[in-house]
Amino acid sequence: MASETLKNELKGHIIEQLNLEDIKKEDFVDEAPLFGEGGVGLDSIDALELIVLLEKHYHINVTNPEEGKVVFYSIDSMADYIEKHRK
Amino acid sequence: MNRITASCRITNRGVFVDGQLLKPFSGDDPVENLGAAYKGLALDYPKFYKMDLLAKAAFLGVEILKSNCPDLAGDADDDPAMLFANSESSSDTDLKFEESYGNNGLPSPSLFVYTLPNIAMGEVAIRNKWYGSQMFAVFPNFAPAYYADQARLLSDEGAKKWICGWIDVREKLDVLLFALDDAMLHEPELVTGIQHLYDN
Repeated sequence: MASETLKNELKGHIIEQLNLEDIKKEDFVDEAPLFGEGGVGLDSIDALELIVLLEKHYHINVTNPEEGKVVFYSIDSMADYIEKHRK
Repeated sequence: MNRITASCRITNRGVFVDGQLLKPFSGDDPVENLGAAYKGLALDYPKFYKMDLLAKAAFLGVEILKSNCPDLAGDADDDPAMLFANSESSSDTDLKFEESYGNNGLPSPSLFVYTLPNIAMGEVAIRNKWYGSQMFAVFPNFAPAYYADQARLLSDEGAKKWICGWIDVREKLDVLLFALDDAMLHEPELVTGIQHLYDN
């Protein structure tokens, strides 16, 4: 399980990278889906921004689209992936 | 007499509806000013924050026009048509996009999608489900005859309403949105009337 510190930092990067001016860190539910209804409503362009975010801040390249669906499912899944793959 | 009855002007001074000041701006930062105008409208459309300045200005201008003129869209599926123009194309976002990959080698996808000026009309179309014709032209200066000429051309293809816009955002906010309908098209003073909207 990824640390709360990492998850908090990740939420800040997402808000900044995606210009989510209406959303605060506490609005994220760690296990909730980031895309579609029920989460923060990200779209396909946001998915590309998340790929850039991982590369820019954590030097992680996500090149497999199928892997992306799992990695970017939630804050929990992103943070777990970062902890396993950060360089 | 100017028969154009619905217009929205946005400059560094504030938002004007049909010539009347709706919201004054206190500074010159277009990002802050357009953000303040959005909040003043109390809309719930989070995608606004992801738009570039050009799309934000177009979106706000049309929303303000709608609030003042509820039957803006007309009845036909392909109304209203949109005729937009400016002097700077999408250069504000083009430069930011260049900077995004120049600084760290990672081009921003969300900036890239706005590196065409007609995306501003796409945002308006998505918001309103308007499927009429769209045209975005680039001129050195405000060109009132463009709107009259193109509206008349599209009238031959069945359009009856037009949302027209001039949207410069880079150096300063210089935005005019106005609505035309087919009853206005053959007014001899139409071009003069459009220029009057811009000048005032």
